[in-house]
Amino acid sequence: MVLLAGINMDGAQLAKLALQSFYGIGPSVSQKLLARNYIHPLAKLSSLQDKQLESLNNALASMKIENDLRREIRGNIARLRDLGTYRGRRHAMGLPVRGQRTRCQNSSATKLNKVDRRG
Amino acid sequence: MRATQVLSKGRSAWKVPNIVALPIVRPKAGEKLQPIRTQARSATILPNFVGLRFQIHNGLVYHELTVTEDMVGHKLGEFSPTRKRFSYKRTANK
Repeated sequence: MVLLAGINMDGAQLAKLALQSFYGIGPSVSQKLLARNYIHPLAKLSSLQDKQLESLNNALASMKIENDLRREIRGNIARLRDLGTYRGRRHAMGLPVRGQRTRCQNSSATKLNKVDRRG
Repeated sequence: MRATQVLSKGRSAWKVPNIVALPIVRPKAGEKLQPIRTQARSATILPNFVGLRFQIHNGLVYHELTVTEDMVGHKLGEFSPTRKRFSYKRTANK
């Protein structure tokens, strides 16, 4: 068990993938984080030294991830909605915001575009 | 921080925000603020528009809008919807 940003992680998994389990960290950000903290791209979590883990945790603490990021995104959408813009309205209706077609293929929009966005 | 990016969200900096010459008349003391009627939906809202009233065309009618500080950087047309919401109406004679 390894603590990453206050969450217990399985030590047997790759550090790259463990980082990607956070909301707001994808393949490229996780790769950059590893490189910046002198960690091999294919290192397992359990193989990390305390120093590396500490620097990684410090980097994570300074980033906007998980609920902070979700709150920011929700705030941005709420701002558009309160202003009464077209984009805010499209979010509220669950329809594409940037002029995509709506005749078919708008499942991503119906899934994601909400005033109280989850993901 | 790139200052131009604040005004032109996502627009290339070399294009500069879309500045349209609008007939802005500042009211004298004691006079009422007259709304500015315009069809320039693509005009960017500039910081000096704050507090002014606009009537923005949507192709059919003019929607009224009082510009607040948050709206700076958006376009005028974003605040004047052009489409009617679809609502199903049952035909009377069948």
